[in-house]
Amino acid sequence: MFSAPVLTQVLINGLSLSAIYVLIALGFTLLFGIMKVVNFAHGSLAMLGGYALHYYFGEFKLPYVVAILLAGLTVASASMVLEWLVFRRFYQKMFQSMIGLLGLDIAIVYTCVLVFDVYERSIPAALDSMVAIGSVSIPADKLMIIGIAVVVLLAFWGFMSLTRYGLAVRAASEDIEIAEAQGVNTRRIYQLAFFLAIFMTAIAGAIYAQTYALSPFMGERPLMVAFIVVILGGMGSIPGAALGGVLFGFGESFLSTFYGSAASTFVSFGVVIALLVVRPWGLLGKPER
Amino acid sequence: MSNTSLNPPVARQTAAAPRGMKVLAIGVLVTVILAVLPHVADNAFILAIGALILLNMIGALSLHLIIRTGHISFSHAGFMGVGAYACALSVLKLGVSPFVGLAIGAAASGLLALVVGPIVLRLTGKYFVLVTFLLGEIIRLVLVEWESVTGGSNGLSSIPDLHAGWNSPLAQYYIALVAAVLVAALCIRLLMSETGRAMDAVREAQRVTECAGVPVIRLKVGIFVLGCALVGLQGGLLAFFMHYIDPTTFGMTDSLNLVVMNVLGGMYNVVGPIVGAVFLVALPELLRGYVEIQRILFGVALIVVMASFSSGLVGLATMLRRKVHQ
Amino acid sequence: MYAKKLLGSLVLTALGAGMALSVHAQETLKIGGVGPLSGGGTAWGLAVQRGVQMAIDEVNAQGGLKVGDKTYKPELVMYDDKYTATGGRTAAERLVNYDKVNFVIGPIGTPSAMAVVPITNPAKVIVLSDGYAPDILKQGGQNGYNFRSMNSNVEFGPAMVKWLKETHPQVKKVALIVPNDATGQVVMPTLGQTYKDNGYTVWSESYERGSKEFTPLLTRMMAQGVDILDLNLNAPGEAGLLVKQARQVGYKGLIWQVGGPGIDEVNDIAGPNAEGFMSYDVFDFREPSAQKFVDTYKKKWSGVINAQTPGWYNSAKILFKALQNAGTVTDTDKVRSALENLSGYDAGIYGPVVWGGQKAYGVNRQLLNKFWITQIKDGKPQTLTTLSPVKE
Repeated sequence: MFSAPVLTQVLINGLSLSAIYVLIALGFTLLFGIMKVVNFAHGSLAMLGGYALHYYFGEFKLPYVVAILLAGLTVASASMVLEWLVFRRFYQKMFQSMIGLLGLDIAIVYTCVLVFDVYERSIPAALDSMVAIGSVSIPADKLMIIGIAVVVLLAFWGFMSLTRYGLAVRAASEDIEIAEAQGVNTRRIYQLAFFLAIFMTAIAGAIYAQTYALSPFMGERPLMVAFIVVILGGMGSIPGAALGGVLFGFGESFLSTFYGSAASTFVSFGVVIALLVVRPWGLLGKPER
Repeated sequence: MSNTSLNPPVARQTAAAPRGMKVLAIGVLVTVILAVLPHVADNAFILAIGALILLNMIGALSLHLIIRTGHISFSHAGFMGVGAYACALSVLKLGVSPFVGLAIGAAASGLLALVVGPIVLRLTGKYFVLVTFLLGEIIRLVLVEWESVTGGSNGLSSIPDLHAGWNSPLAQYYIALVAAVLVAALCIRLLMSETGRAMDAVREAQRVTECAGVPVIRLKVGIFVLGCALVGLQGGLLAFFMHYIDPTTFGMTDSLNLVVMNVLGGMYNVVGPIVGAVFLVALPELLRGYVEIQRILFGVALIVVMASFSSGLVGLATMLRRKVHQ
Repeated sequence: MYAKKLLGSLVLTALGAGMALSVHAQETLKIGGVGPLSGGGTAWGLAVQRGVQMAIDEVNAQGGLKVGDKTYKPELVMYDDKYTATGGRTAAERLVNYDKVNFVIGPIGTPSAMAVVPITNPAKVIVLSDGYAPDILKQGGQNGYNFRSMNSNVEFGPAMVKWLKETHPQVKKVALIVPNDATGQVVMPTLGQTYKDNGYTVWSESYERGSKEFTPLLTRMMAQGVDILDLNLNAPGEAGLLVKQARQVGYKGLIWQVGGPGIDEVNDIAGPNAEGFMSYDVFDFREPSAQKFVDTYKKKWSGVINAQTPGWYNSAKILFKALQNAGTVTDTDKVRSALENLSGYDAGIYGPVVWGGQKAYGVNRQLLNKFWITQIKDGKPQTLTTLSPVKE
């Protein structure tokens, strides 16, 4: 069982799982880090990204890169309405945000049931070929997902560390009142952070829908994954989301292949609970003052 | 409000007494109305819904106790499941009488809470939420995977009645009423006592309360155990009513429902969960026919309530009452 | 702040006014329906709703259902059970005690069916359900009023495995991958046993229902050297992903499904990877005799036709025929006998009614439907053969 081809396959599976998990977790952790909202509507917003890609790529047949960027932009822009209507009433109110956004999640999902119908659809793959690496082959679109994850992480890191807006966002996440005192326009910063977070979420959802399946209920699992990855890595920490995604992805690949999926779920939940008890701010998060 | 530090103890007692009498009077009145209800609304379906609301009240109230100490548990339906399965298994496999089964169910949940409590209750607000979220899932997974004992996803069937012959909707309604009233009385009495004040103090200012000599962790664990034992009781009763239990009855959605009952109704007032239970069970029944629209309206209602009055419907009622009195 | 609170309460009041109590007009014959209308199982619940509605529309177009010397207008009262036990119970209680129906079609899932039967049997309400757990029929026993009108794997499994043995003699080892829900935990041992009885070695693995990533599991499977992967009762979405991911991981053996069915979905999701995939099928939508059914469906609803819809249409038609034979819509004992004696009646899509199940459940209340095996060849589904369950 523990042979070289199997191990190579496990490694490759782990890599592609990690990529998707990281993408899903990024938007979630950003909203928590800056606005202190627990976005229970995360899954449904990802799902909207999936439907957007379905129309742009599957129906209108735009080139893939254009389609996916447009999907992200469309959903993020449309969500600004939701930001004004719903999200901003819950900023810095962590507990209210949980229940309120849960309500938003239900509303979005069932509106989509009415609009799109329940049956599962699929989005055609971006690339059909298989790429051979040593003795195993990996689908080209999985490599593409890994590439996208790396690019998004780097771009985001670049934005946060190297631009003025990124600095303002970081200041706001450290201490909102002092940042305001320093002249940062918190309303604008919130809107910017929200837009970025939803943009990433929509793209993650589009990729998820393409890899698996698209339906109004698609978002449940991404939400669960986002929760676990972000708890692992630290709520509010971007490098934490990356680390958590990688750990969870590889862990799942290794454990499921060698010990079955029940073992994998039990171990990952157990580890996360143990971590929460011993080090609740996650691996890379900041302890509460 | 009473200046407790200035008034002598005798005066404090007298101040509390009329309030206690008022609560008791209201409680007795409500109980009598509910007991007479079946003779007015003689429909088996309404009785069945009524029984369901009353059972859920047990869950909502027991969760309320835990919430008053400042911890919002998302694993409450999991503990209900532990109680239900322990009760059903002891009746089906060990052959004990159903009433003993109920006690075993409550004890099992309480025991699990006692084991887990001291560890998880040390965590603050949001981390506690996340841990209980995962804990609920683990309980559900154990119920699903441990097929030899729990029957796995196919659950346990052919569970008998609580007492031979107590099978009709009317009988189940009265059983639920008795249980709910007892639990409500217990919770209200507890919250009105010294312990209740300690619970609120722990929630609002933990460090200060500790300095005042209140054994914080012991209090939290005690309330947690009590709350979980009570919901274990609800689980046992549910098993006897449905004659069948499976893991889907005790999942994340059900834990969420119990939390929402408290939040919508009012988290810091004991009437809140009662109102929330009625609202959350009755409303989907009233809105049958338009499933999607119903769900959308429900979601919007959650947003509106959470954004506008975080003290829930009870808070809304208080606000309206104050306006009327002005 | 104050204005915000006032606005909030106004909105809430408006919402409350907008939530109207749904009123059921007085119709002549209410037929109860139970199935998931929300959550992941909605497609199956809609299959119940639409299949039964099609039968009702057909009857009403002919002027109503003539039973005895009265003519009735059937009406479907359908409730969501959310695919859970509590949901099924509440739906059943509402149908039996509030709407006062005598006949229920559905539910689909085991948890729901297991919770419905303890309510409908004492009330003498006839139920035509699905749900794979054998207990559903065993629980009612001879005095029960519930029938099962869709095949479970006990009915179609053995015939399919025998067919496999005859047509693909080189296959020796089977992999079963199942979700760990109620149906999965029932099917895995029984189907596994069927394979073993026919001389195969079986490797099985379960996964958490809802997951969509199977590459680790499939990698694990590949290390076992299996000749055929059986997707048995996996839902169409998961089946499609299993086929696609199995091929992507490099699995070269046979893939088929003793269960489902979900051939169109598998074809859609797995694309070129679905070539050669074989499956149990409950209905041949391509047969000329099925055209009428497809056209009628498409006149009312759009989208993919869930494969279970014809089965529920069939159930409703059988019920109507039994009502006519019994001559009453209120005496359910007479209707129950009429149902049991309905052998030979052909509703037009499944051939003559055959009741069986005595050996497996102790009562002859399982409808034995004929079924098909379909294969995807050159990107399109083709019928390979038609089979019938063995009457025992």
